[in-house]
Formats: sequence, C-alpha cells, structure tokens
Amino acid sequence: MGVQATIEETSSAVPVISDVTFAELLSDPYPTFKRARELAAVVRIAAANIIIATRYEDIMAMERDAETFSSVNPQSLVNRVMGHTLMRKDGEAHARERKAVEPALRPGAVKSCWAPKLEAIFDGVMAGFETNGEADLFTALAAPMAGRALADVLGFLDVDWQTMALWSQSLIDGAGNYSGDPEISRKATEAARGVEEAIDLALAYHRENPNMSVLSSMIHADDPHTLDQIYANIKVAVGGGLNEPRDSILTLVLGLLENPDQLERVKADTNLWPVAFEESVRWISPIGMYPRRVTRDVVLSGVQLRAGDQIGLCVGAANRDDSRFEDPDRFNVFREKKSHLAFGAGPHFCAGTWVARHMVGRLVVPRLFERLKNLRLRDRTDVRIQGWVFRGPTTLPVVWDV
Amino acid sequence: MPEITFILPAGKEQTCTAREGLSLMEVALQNGVPGIIAECNGSAACATCHIIVDDALASTLDPISEHENDMLDFTAAPRAPGSRLSCQIKVDGRLDGAAIRIPAEM
Repeated sequence: MGVQATIEETSSAVPVISDVTFAELLSDPYPTFKRARELAAVVRIAAANIIIATRYEDIMAMERDAETFSSVNPQSLVNRVMGHTLMRKDGEAHARERKAVEPALRPGAVKSCWAPKLEAIFDGVMAGFETNGEADLFTALAAPMAGRALADVLGFLDVDWQTMALWSQSLIDGAGNYSGDPEISRKATEAARGVEEAIDLALAYHRENPNMSVLSSMIHADDPHTLDQIYANIKVAVGGGLNEPRDSILTLVLGLLENPDQLERVKADTNLWPVAFEESVRWISPIGMYPRRVTRDVVLSGVQLRAGDQIGLCVGAANRDDSRFEDPDRFNVFREKKSHLAFGAGPHFCAGTWVARHMVGRLVVPRLFERLKNLRLRDRTDVRIQGWVFRGPTTLPVVWDV
Repeated sequence: MPEITFILPAGKEQTCTAREGLSLMEVALQNGVPGIIAECNGSAACATCHIIVDDALASTLDPISEHENDMLDFTAAPRAPGSRLSCQIKVDGRLDGAAIRIPAEM
C-alpha cells in the first residue's frame, strides 16, 4: 500500500527545485516529478514558479477535501478567458451545472448514441489515409478524430476539426498565458468569440430538437444552463475535451508499438483493450496537472501550506508514484490493476471519461490495428512527446503494408 | 447508529457504526475498507465504489436509478444481481445489521 496522506496542523516549509529548466520540464518532466515525490509532499518548481503535489495519496486526500483545496479561484486565467466555468466552482454550484451536462456523457448515452456516430467518424477519417502505407498519426488520425468527435458530442453544427483544434489550442494557451503575451490573448479572445458564435448557431436547432448532445442536455435539463453558463462550460469542454482523446490515441498506439509482445496479447484477447487504454493514460497522462487553491493554513503530509497558495496537482506524477505502481515508467498492460488519477478524482472527475474510454479504448485503437496490417513505427527517433501540464506525442510517424 | 458489516473478498469481516445521512461509500472510506476507491467522491461518475447487497436488503433499499444502472455495467468486478454503487445508498435504519459484500476485482 502507498503512504498514508495526512492533513493536520503542524509544519515545515515548502522545498524548492531550482536546477531544472522549463525546457527540460516540457521535454521530460518525469525525472523532476520523481525528485519532487521523494523530496516532500509539496515542492516548488522554480522554473515554472509553481508549487506541485506529486504523490498519489496526497492528491487523493486533497481531492477529497474541497473545502481546504478549492477549485474556486477568482484570479484564474481560465475565468478570464472562458468565463465562470464549472471547473472553477465547488459544492452545490458545481454540482448543479455538472448535473445538466452529464446526461450527454453517461455510459448509457455513449452506448446508445455516440458509439455509432463515433464509428462513422472513424470510418471517414480512416478512408482519408488508409491506402497510403505511411502517415503521421497525429495529423492523419488522432487530431481529426478527436476534433470531429468533440464537435458532434457538444452539438456544434458544421464546425470542422481544424477549427475545433484551433479553438481548443487557443483557449488552452490563453488559460496558461501567465506572461500576458498580447498575441496569445488576442487568439484566445478570437477563439472564445468563435465558440460563442457556434453555440448561437446551434442553440435554435437544439431547442426544437432535443437530443443527446451536451448543448441539448444543458438547455433541456431540469435546472437548465443560462446562456453565460453555456458559453463558459462549452469553452471548457472545447479547451479540455480535444487534446486528451487525441493524445491518448497516440500514447496507446505508441505504447503497443514499442511493446510488440504486449500488442500480440491484447490483439489475441479483445477484453484487454480497455485495460490497455487505462495503462496508456496512467503511463502518459494527457492532463498532467491541474490547480487547486488552499483556503486555510494547513499542513499536508508534513509541509506547511498557507491560505491562498495555488497548488498544481500533478496527476502525471502521481500516476508514476512508485509507492503505488511497480516500475512506473514502463508501459505495462499486465501490471497489477490499480486505479490511477488520469481522469482526476473527486467531484471534478472527468465528465468525458466514458466517451473517451469507448472512443479510444474500444473503437479507434483496436480498429486501427485491425485495419492497418503490420502497423509499425517508421523510426522511433522520429517520435516526439512533449509537455508537462498537457502531455502527449506531437508526431507519430508510422508505416504499414498496403 | 446503524451497525454495518463489510465482507471483504477473502471473507474477512469489518464491522463499523455508521452515521445516518452519510453514504455507504463515505462510511467505507472513513473506516478504510479496502476495495472502495470512490474516484469521483460520490458523483456516481466513476463506478469505483461497487458493492453487492443480498436480496433481502436489495428489496428494502430505494430502487436503482437509470444512471446508476448504466454505471454498474462498467465496474471493475463483474456485475452481480445485488450490485450497487455504495455512493448512491444513504445510511438509515434499513442498513442496521446489514452485510455488504466487497466484490473481488478481476
């Protein structure tokens, strides 16, 4: 079992890691995460000017105590870029909005509504490159698949995947624009406006034609969203619903291609696909970190935190906590089964989890290996994996027999 | 306060008193019952607080909602006739003396 986390009232200061550059964090954050985990419950990373928590048990404890570790942050850039989203609310305020969104994303909705639609999208995307014999799976498969799926699930009409990708990246960049770069701000504002226009265009249809989409769910809920709530929460979904499925498609493909023995076993027993998917998001978690704000002076597993501190919950680090996962840096579908934090924990547990599990773990990656014979990496040295707040392969060149 | 017994997969029993109004999941967490993970902390979104109740108790509890019913198809251990999500069961007098089974993960 892992170390037990404690939330108590005695103290010691937050240690600092100051010899790691931002570029090093982006290219490979895991050595730094490991150092941080071994150093203390909470560590300041000088290069990113942020305090991070990296241990599984500590993050679980924080996520079970939303009064002390709040999602509310009036100063948040997310609020400035997207409005007052449910992601930055706690308790009843969050629960009310979450409840209006959820019917669109439940396992039942995935099965009855999204599964066939996602399959049609997948067939369309595959038709575009299947006979080429080589492709970068980022641009050929993962980005269009994730973008088109998100547009459909949200209920946008006629928004292409390139636009979805641009909006998503611009909103993410805007929410992380701590240096106040005016060009990033301008792009984020433009994306936010684009999303609002797409919502305005789609709402009339959804009012007349109730359906399983998120937009429809929001307006037909018992406690329906106001227009401002719709704008804000759809922007969060655009910012936070595209790169995760995109990146996890690529990560799962990469993990299996680098481990042919595991690939063979998974192909031989299709029940293993969902397990392989969970392992891929544990191994390289698409959302590596998200913030919480400390509301009172508190000691977390021996480290003194002050009211007002912002803490990055590094789930990407917790998912490689070696007190929980043996040989954590290794992609291993057959490791001892244990829950991970790739979808977060607590009330903000990823609302899109079930769509993602189906889309990536049951549809896209299994079918990809079925359809592309002898699929293999073109050259391992061409593969790029990047990021620490969001992390995933940025290019995945492959070849197959045609 | 109702007294509830959790029966672990290997057969070991763990009995605890439970405050009314808490969910069965919260009682399990407070008492460190292994096997109850509750990733979403009671939002019925993660299916990681799976328990199994016997027929007699099942018939006295409030019926399973459509959403909980959906979620129960996605538990780590296979679904059984008495499967429930413990976060969706509030503790009251009906649970006094109840035996709650924690399923073995496959």
